[in-house]
Order: sequence, then structure tokens, then C-alpha cells
Amino acid sequence: MIFRRKLLAVFALTICVSVAAVAGMVLALTRRAFEKTEEHRTAALLAQFQREFNRQGEDAARRVQAIAASEPVTHMAAALEHSAGDSAAYFDLARSMADNYQLDFLEFVDARGTIISSAQWPAKFGYPEGAFESLAGASDQGAFLKQEELQDSTALGLFAVRADRVGERAMYVIGGRRLDKNFLSALDLPADMRALLYQNRGDHFSPDLLVDPAAAGNVADAAHPAEKFATLIEAVRQYDQEAAGIVQWSSDRAEDEVFHAIPLRGVGKDRPLLGILLIGHSRRSYVELKNRIGASALAVGGGGIVLAILFSSWAAARVTRPVEQLARAAQSVAAGNWNTRVVVPGDDEFAQLAESFNRMTAELLTQKERLVQAERVAAWRELARRLAHELKNPLFPLQLTVENLVRARMQSPEQFDEIFGESSRTLLAEISNLKAIIGRFSEFSKMPHPQLQPVQVNEILRGVAQLFQAQLQAPGREPIVCKLELDESLGTLAADPDLLHRALSNLVLNAMDAMPKGGTLTLRSRRDDGRTVIEVADTGSGLTPEECERIFTPYYTSKQHGTGLGLAIVQSVVSDHGGRIGVRSETGVATTFVIELQDNRDMLHTTEADGPQSNS
Amino acid sequence: MKLFDWRCLAVSSALLAVVAAQGETRPQYGGTLHVAVRAAPASLDPADGGPDSFGRRNVTRLMFETLVTTDDNGRAHALLATSWQAAPGNQRWQFSLRHGVKFHDGTALTAEAAATSLRVANPAWNVSADGDSVVIERDAADAEMLAELALPRNAIAKRTADGRPDGTGPFHVVDWQPGKKLTLAAEEGYWRGRPFLDGIEIEMGKSNRDQILALDVGKADLVEVGAEWAHRFSLEKRGLESSAPVELLALVFVRDARTPEEKLLREALALSVERGSMRSVLLQGAGQPAGGVLPNWISGYGFVFPAEADLPRARHDREQVRSAPGWTLGYDGSDPMARLLAERIALNAKDAGLALQPTSAAMTDLRVVRIPLASGDPWLALANAAAVAGLPAAKNKGSSVEDLYAAEQAALASQKIIPLFHLPVYCAAGAELKNWTVRPDGSWSLADAWLGSSKP
Repeated sequence: MIFRRKLLAVFALTICVSVAAVAGMVLALTRRAFEKTEEHRTAALLAQFQREFNRQGEDAARRVQAIAASEPVTHMAAALEHSAGDSAAYFDLARSMADNYQLDFLEFVDARGTIISSAQWPAKFGYPEGAFESLAGASDQGAFLKQEELQDSTALGLFAVRADRVGERAMYVIGGRRLDKNFLSALDLPADMRALLYQNRGDHFSPDLLVDPAAAGNVADAAHPAEKFATLIEAVRQYDQEAAGIVQWSSDRAEDEVFHAIPLRGVGKDRPLLGILLIGHSRRSYVELKNRIGASALAVGGGGIVLAILFSSWAAARVTRPVEQLARAAQSVAAGNWNTRVVVPGDDEFAQLAESFNRMTAELLTQKERLVQAERVAAWRELARRLAHELKNPLFPLQLTVENLVRARMQSPEQFDEIFGESSRTLLAEISNLKAIIGRFSEFSKMPHPQLQPVQVNEILRGVAQLFQAQLQAPGREPIVCKLELDESLGTLAADPDLLHRALSNLVLNAMDAMPKGGTLTLRSRRDDGRTVIEVADTGSGLTPEECERIFTPYYTSKQHGTGLGLAIVQSVVSDHGGRIGVRSETGVATTFVIELQDNRDMLHTTEADGPQSNS
Repeated sequence: MKLFDWRCLAVSSALLAVVAAQGETRPQYGGTLHVAVRAAPASLDPADGGPDSFGRRNVTRLMFETLVTTDDNGRAHALLATSWQAAPGNQRWQFSLRHGVKFHDGTALTAEAAATSLRVANPAWNVSADGDSVVIERDAADAEMLAELALPRNAIAKRTADGRPDGTGPFHVVDWQPGKKLTLAAEEGYWRGRPFLDGIEIEMGKSNRDQILALDVGKADLVEVGAEWAHRFSLEKRGLESSAPVELLALVFVRDARTPEEKLLREALALSVERGSMRSVLLQGAGQPAGGVLPNWISGYGFVFPAEADLPRARHDREQVRSAPGWTLGYDGSDPMARLLAERIALNAKDAGLALQPTSAAMTDLRVVRIPLASGDPWLALANAAAVAGLPAAKNKGSSVEDLYAAEQAALASQKIIPLFHLPVYCAAGAELKNWTVRPDGSWSLADAWLGSSKP
């Protein structure tokens, strides 16, 4: 990953983490604030429910008291006191009194707990009143919660009991009001809150027992099925304490409501759980705020990322441009352009680095020129030494021959002709030798340009092996075993077969020279990373590291009679083919020359395409 | 002198008071009688198959007449027929028509018109006119022919082209709003003489409470009174008249009992019903608890059918059946007493371990039903009750009480009907209505009634 991308990633990550942390913190604070608000509002609504409960309870108690003190009831109590059991005439009294006093429930019960008249269930006369003892105990007290059994259902109500005593026996007036939709609707609720009531009856949750003011009639709201409260209701029933939970109405979280379930108890020793008040808060405002915060965080995060990109791009450009210039300059220097210069304005560290780089390249260039100069001088010296050495050998006989001719002319004229003839042959031979020496040097300087054509490397290797087979096994020298290790899957490449043959022949000759005591010559071919690799390995005396470094220098030779041009020619051929040549050697053990050649087939097409044109 | 004057004044005042008193008790023509009834018939045709009720029967009798009528003892008397003769075996009956009787449209009552009317009411009968006589032939002996012909549904009516029935009764129709209001006017040419009342306006479909309210505020002169109100009317010494117990309140199952277990459950239900407390509280002492279909005054043996609850036996019967289905108990939603009875019966049944759900819905397992007994004739009454309960018609195989008892016992053994009460028909009238009464069969006697003070 380049430095600029790293910088961008660091910036973006930093901004995202920061935004996420801030958003998470804001969300947590918001949730806590909402929870506290919910607690306060629930407490307020519960207090309001309690006030309404007390108010309606007091109202019901007053009405029950008024009924107990009314003339018809007093008259009934007196009549029953005098003629116990003759209550038939009053069986409908509770209904009419309940109508008059606007009570939902009203029953007259005698001292034995037998119902004389019932407004809510007229047919129940003569039957015992349920839980009469606890009801009688609540006589003349405040209102209380009671579950009233009706003909085909049950109902929760706020009840009060008053005893009407005429004579020795008491008659009880038990009346109350229904805790129903009207009661719940009377609660002054905020817009996003609502109250429901569950009548606790039976062993399991039943949707029919839920009183929902928002439901039309007894038909539950299809969008808010009562079954959703089952878990909450069962939790209150099971643990007999307040519970709270989130009710999810749909996949839209804004529709969710938080409900607090508060147990409502009746009178008696065990204070039975008669109802459960459900106070619900809509989570819409919270969810919407949360969504807004999330959206804002996303927007800020996205904007931050964009800003990060822009800023990091700017910063990276500012920071990395000098570095990139330096990198490009270094690559240029590596490519041989020693005159490369880096221009970085300012006086910061990058400018100092660029100046140092420029100084370094200038110094390197100077050093290189000095080195080239030195190498050139060395090469000329070597050339001069080699020329002197090469030329000295024929010149000395020439000098001796000419001096011999002069001496023969002066001292032995009679033998001059004979000596002249003999000296002339010697002179011609040595001159011919000089011409050969000059020809070799001339030939090196005029290496031909490769004529590319499809070449099977393996065929060339086989040809070279075959060419030198006789010399390798020549009598008078230690035999050399020639091994061919060829990759038969190699294809063709574009090369000049003659030059390649010549180069390989030079390498084989060198190998033979390196194995005066015999050995193994190995010719290998293989494919490596798209290139054709040719190796010529011997098991000779090997080369020193210094020889390995200088072995391809023209006119350098470790042989006594070598010209130092063989390997230079090999390198020249390989270089003209766009390839590379290297040597690896272990002193006293072996030496391997490695040639790497490109396929150059594109050059082959160009050459083929150019062929007819040139021919024409 | 002064003493003489005072004596003359006192004698004169006494004479005036006597004359005034005689004036109050002497019939006088005029006035419109306002009546309220609970029935709301959609048709005035006596042969129409609508719901039977005493109110409807009484309304019919104001406009239509039968060939014969029965007295309080059930004996037949001539009405539109002056005489009759039954062939041996009681299969062929011949009735001689009264002369001079006219329908309200002025046409004379003929044997052919009477025969046509009877054929409409009784398609299974072979009725024909024979001169001035009407001949009725049955496939089998029919000893109750006279009682049957005395039923309001067999009243003689001439149906006009537009389907409107025309009768020969003391009042003719002036205005008819089906199910709501009927306005009648005195028939001037009525063969028994013009009635004292100029007209009668009958408000229909009124609940008992509304009828009593109308009576209290003077908007009605004659109303029906529910049995539960009768006791209070008696205590208040208001003009209350009642019939013999001619209405059967019963539980009727919609379908037959198919298994012995179901019969046991039905028996448990019958045994669980506390008729006594219902009568004393809900009916305020009116009516008689019923163990049988026919009241004792008709059958003479009604007391042999036990009407008391036997809760231990009911529970025992219930326990014989492993699982009991819940039954729906229907009642007429416009009948508050039926609802109370249904709720009480459900409570009683719960004590026996049976689950009954009272409802005013139409489709139920059993219903609280009011069955107006057709007649004082036991066989007719039994057949009528059996028809309402969906039981096969009881055949009169003999005239003995044993046969009647056997037929009634068979009806009860079917476990399809559980009798609850026999109720009288109660009617109350304002002080202005004079010379009226309710006959033992529940019919009004208004032919000679008159209003004591002129009413608009």
C-alpha cells in the first residue's frame, strides 16, 4: 500500500472512530435521558391513576352510602327484618337503584351473605355472594378493587360496601363502578402514552381480558394484537411484581412501545392480584431521535471521510510529493540517468533531503566519471600491454631477421641470397602473424548485428556438443564427458543462430581450457519466468570472485595466450539479443555460465514484416 | 221554612247523585279505545302463519268471526253457523250458516265464501258448500272439530283481489300499518248490533314496560301486563283482569336427543331448574310451575308431573356422562322476562354441572319459548304445543284421560321440551273502559265494552 493510501486510511479511520464514539455516547445519553423521562412520566401517570382511582372510589362510596340511606333500601331492610326470607318483592330494586345512582354494580346482600337483589346479574338472587366475609370486613371503609363475576364474563370494578342496620341484622349494600374503557379514557394522558387494563383471571393470559380504550368495541385493534402483552402479563403473574418491557408491534421500531405492568390487588388477607395496569409509552420520539442521531453520525462520518480524502490527499501531496520526486529521481539514477536532480522548494526536511540527494548524485556522477576515466585508462593500458605483448612477439623475430640480413650482407655476401630467401619467408610469416593479430582486434570491433530468426535453442546446443565431441575425446588429453540436460518443452525464440552458436562455442572452449585434467561439461536448457536459460557448466578449477567480476572485461584474460576477447564477444552477443549473462563459480570445483534470453518473438515479426520491404 | 228548604235541597242532591251514578253504569256509545299490545303481526289475515300470540288472537277477533265459539267451559255455541251436524264417526261435519250476515264490504256471507276461507286456513281439509251449509270432511274422525273451528285462525275471511282480508266482525279496518298500528271503526251493520265503541286504535310492538307507561299516562286504555307486573297491579288495585293459565313457558330443544347420554343431560337440566324461586321472585308469584305441557285446569292431572327441582338427582344424572357439551340457551331479546329466566336457568344448570350460555342469538341449542295454548281443548292444546316443540302431532286415539296422559307423557319423554310455567294472560284497563273482561282462554271481551267518558 502506498504511503498516500495509508495516510488516507489512517485519517478516515480516525474520523470514523471519533464520530462513532461521539454518536454512541450521544445515543447512550439520549437513551438514559429517555428512560428517566419514562420513569417520571410513568410515576406521574400512576399517581394520576391512583388519584382517579381514589376519586372514583370516593364517588362510588358516596353513592353506595346514599343508596344505603335511601328510603327504599331502608324500607327493604326493615321489611326483611320483620319478615326474613320474603325478599322476592325487592329482587329488581338493585337494578332501579343502580340506574338512579349511576352505578355499574349494585347488590343487596343479607346478613348471611345471600344476594337479595343484583343489578349486574339479576338472576343471581338467592345465591351466596362470593368472598362475602372479606366484603363484610370492608364495610364502611373506602373503595377497593374487586373482580365481579357476571353472567358471561367478569369485570373489574371499584367497589364500596355499606351496612344498613335495621334491628339486629345487617343488610349490606355492595356497589361500585366498572374499571373499563371509560375509566381509562378519563385519565389525562400525554399524546404518546396510553393506559390499558388486564383483568387477571384464569391460569393463562387471555386476550379477551384486556381492556384497551383504543379498541373499537370489543374488537381488538388488528395492528396491536393483545397477544403481544402475554409475556409481560405472565411475568407479573409469575413474579407478582411490577414488570416492564418493550412491545414490538411491527418491523418499524418507531411503532414500539415501552410498557410498565403494575399489579392491582384486591382486599382480603392474601390481597389477590385482580388486575394489571399497563402504562405504555411510544418509543417513536426516541427512535426518531436515535435515527436522526444515526443519520447525522453517518452524514458527519461520510463528510469526514470525504474531508479526510481531500485533506489526506492534500497532506499526502504536500508530504509525499518530495518523497515521490526523490523516489522517481532514485529510479532515474538507478536507470543510469546520473544527471537527475530533485527540486523541492522550502527549507524543511524534504528540501534538505533533496539537496542531499542532489549532492549525492553529483558526487556519484563525479565518482563515476572518475571511475570511467580510470577504467578507460586501465583499458587502454591493458590494450597497450596486450598490443605490446602481442606485437612484441612477431616484432622480435622481425628485428632479428632484419639484423641477420644486414649482417649477412656485410659478412657473408655469398650466403646472402640464401639467407635473404630464408629471412624473407620468416618476415612474411611474422608479418602475417601481425596481420592476424590486428584482424582479431578488428573483428572484435566490428561484431555483426544479430539477424533474428526462429531458433531452437536445444538444436544449437546439440550442434555445439556435436561440434566439439571430437576435441573433447581427442587423444593426448584427458577426456571430457559432455552431458546434455535439455528441456524439450522449450519453444522457439528469435535469435541469430550463428552468433549464438559462436558464443556457446566460446564458452565450451573456455570450459575445455578450464578442464585440462578432464571432467564433465554440461549443457543445460530450461525455462524460467518466461525466459530461456542456457547454462554451460564445467568441473574445472573454477574462478576466484575477482575473476568473476572482471571476466567479461574486454582483453582481460587469465590464460597465458588468451586475447581476453572470447567472453567479451559472448557478452556482446548476449547483450545484442537483449539477454543477460552471468557466472557462478566455486574455486577449485566448478564454473557455470548462465545465459538468459528473451523470446523476442515480437522482434521476429517486425523483422519478418520488414524483410520483404528491404528485399524490395 | 228554612228547615224545609234544606231538606228539599238534600233530597234533590241525593236524587241527582243516584241519577249520575246510574249514568256511569249505563252503556254509552262513542269514543275510541286505545289499546297497546306486544304482538306486531305483519298481516291481518287470520290464516296467516305468523307467530301466534294472545294479542294477535284478540286483534283478529275484533274483525273476524268463526263458525262456532266456545264458552268458558269449552262448550261450543253458534256464531256464524246457526247449527251443525256431525255424521257418525265425526268425519263429516255440516254447518248451517246464519242469514243476514255481511262482510265489511257489504257482500253477504255465503256458504261458498265460508268454505273458501276454511280451505285457505286448512288446505288438508275437504271443505265444500252445500246450499246454505258448509260441509267439512276429514280423513279420520275429528272429535275436536268444533273447538278447532272456534280458533281465531279458522275465522271466516273474504280475501279481496289485493289480498286484503275482510271479515264479519264488529269492527272494520280503517287504517293498517303492518306491525305498527291498526285503526278500526265500529261496523254499523254488524249483525249483532253496532258496538258501543266508535273505534279502536291498536299500537303494536310495544314492550310491557311501554304499555304500562302508556296506561299510566293515559295514552292507552287497555294493555297487556307481564306476569311479573301482575302482583304489583293487584296490590295497587288497578283494573287487572286475567285468564286461566293458558300460556306455557318452556325450554325447547332445537333437535332431538340422539344418545342416551344426551337424554340424561337433558333430564339433569330439567331437574336442576328451581321453578319455585323463579315464580316467587322473577314472576312475583304469578303463574304455576309446570311439570307437564297441559295446565291442570285443562288436563285435570297436571299435578302428577313433578315441577320441583331435584339437584342431587340432577348432579347424579350429570355425573353419568363423562363430558357434557356447552349449550346455548336462546331467548327473545325483546322479552325481558325470558332473558331473566334464561339467566336463572343457566345458574341452576351450573349448580348441576351443566354449562349453558344465555344468548339472544337465533341459532341456539335450546330456547325459552312462550307457547300460547291453542284452546281449552286438551288435545288441541297438546297438539299445538307439540307442533311448536317440533314433536309429532298427538293423535286423539280415544277420549279418555289415560289416552291424553299417555300422549303428553310421550311428548315429555322425548326430552325435547321442558315445561317451566303455565302463565295466565293479564290485561289492565284504565278506569274509563267499562264492561270488559278477559275470558279464561285469554281472549278479550270487548263487544259490549264502552268508554265511561267521551274521548276524542
